[in-house]
Amino acid sequence: MKSSWIIATKESTEILRSQRGLMGLLIYSGLLSAFSLLLVSNTELSLLDNAQVVYMMAGTVLSAGALLASILGSDTYAGEKERGTLVPLLCTPIDSTALLTGKGLGMLIVWCIMFVTATPYLWAVGASGQNLGAALVYLALFGTPVVLGFGLLAMALSARTGSVLASSLSIITLLMLAATPLLIGPGLRGTAIGRAMDAVNPFAGALNTFDSVIIDSEPFSAQMARLLLVAVWLIFCLMVARRNAAHPNFQ
Amino acid sequence: MKKAKFLLLATIIIIFLATVSSAAVAPLSLELGPDDSNPATPVMGDHMRFWSAITNTGTAPIEGLVAWISLVEIDPGNEQPVDLEDWSAHKAITGAALEPGQSLRTDWPMRLIKGGDYRVVVSATDRGGDSVFTSPTIQFHVRQKPVLQAGRIIPVAAGLPLLIIGLMVLHKTRQQGRRWHESG
Repeated sequence: MKSSWIIATKESTEILRSQRGLMGLLIYSGLLSAFSLLLVSNTELSLLDNAQVVYMMAGTVLSAGALLASILGSDTYAGEKERGTLVPLLCTPIDSTALLTGKGLGMLIVWCIMFVTATPYLWAVGASGQNLGAALVYLALFGTPVVLGFGLLAMALSARTGSVLASSLSIITLLMLAATPLLIGPGLRGTAIGRAMDAVNPFAGALNTFDSVIIDSEPFSAQMARLLLVAVWLIFCLMVARRNAAHPNFQ
Repeated sequence: MKKAKFLLLATIIIIFLATVSSAAVAPLSLELGPDDSNPATPVMGDHMRFWSAITNTGTAPIEGLVAWISLVEIDPGNEQPVDLEDWSAHKAITGAALEPGQSLRTDWPMRLIKGGDYRVVVSATDRGGDSVFTSPTIQFHVRQKPVLQAGRIIPVAAGLPLLIIGLMVLHKTRQQGRRWHESG
């Protein structure tokens, strides 16, 4: 566990203390700022319009988190291999599970920083509306497994393919597919195929929960099926990542 | 002249009789009132409650009674019926039966989602009848509550990116200082 923690702090520090990492955080913060400033001109929103804004911002934070986790995850094993540091890393007395745990924890720390950065924005747009507290709680509860799942799956692809480009392209395509509920309207999502996709898509599960909790003020008991869906997603991704991280591609 | 007077009198009598007869056959009477606990000057986000009493004033039982509440926005230039989907979870009662003389009291809670002037009315009909009966209306004003405050958004939207830029500058300066020390 100690070695995992050392890797986690090293990974997160490398991201957050580098100019590149801070630039990423600046872009993320700029995105949320632009979104918030768009609303300043319209102060006479109804309570539901306001809840809709908080819902959309929660969706944006989730998307940005999943995207960053996918990029970071793609860089883990394949990036180490391309930089020539994978073999020395695997020669150290750290087992593959500890390495995976460390890298996963590093990703979790980055997601926590993204969440903390998003909190003032959510407060700024949602403090006078409804369900702001619930929005934060459910963003943490549902966002964390979804984001970590994408990150772990990206790590699995990274270990499997040994190529940052191949794993990034694969995971970002999957993420775009999963994030279609953000783009398509409720009409298309109401069809049989749309409903079937929503039922198995953890990203849609998290978004539907935000909708249900923030806009419709529905209780926790109504979210149990979706919580199970995102938990299953996380466990599945963890198993796939563990399996692939045990035998990373050296070729 | 006499003929004209006669026609006028006949018309008045016909209208009077028609009114009396329609009142006599109306089998339902509806009352609508605000709850005592309602805020005097409601603000967006407040909860309000109305009560209605539907009485069977006819001589035959009424089966399959349906009553529903409607809300109409009457702001000048913005007159429109309001979709109660988000305002109330209790929008109708269905399938009730009323014996002659029997009354049905119903509470209609709602959450005020948007500011403006509104008029509320309860309507009722039954399975066998061909008319819709309405209660008197109640008008109320919902004060707008600002849900977005520029004074809260601008400091956050400008402050956080500036803070990160500050961190980047600090980091760069430290790096340069470290390099300068190493080379010196």
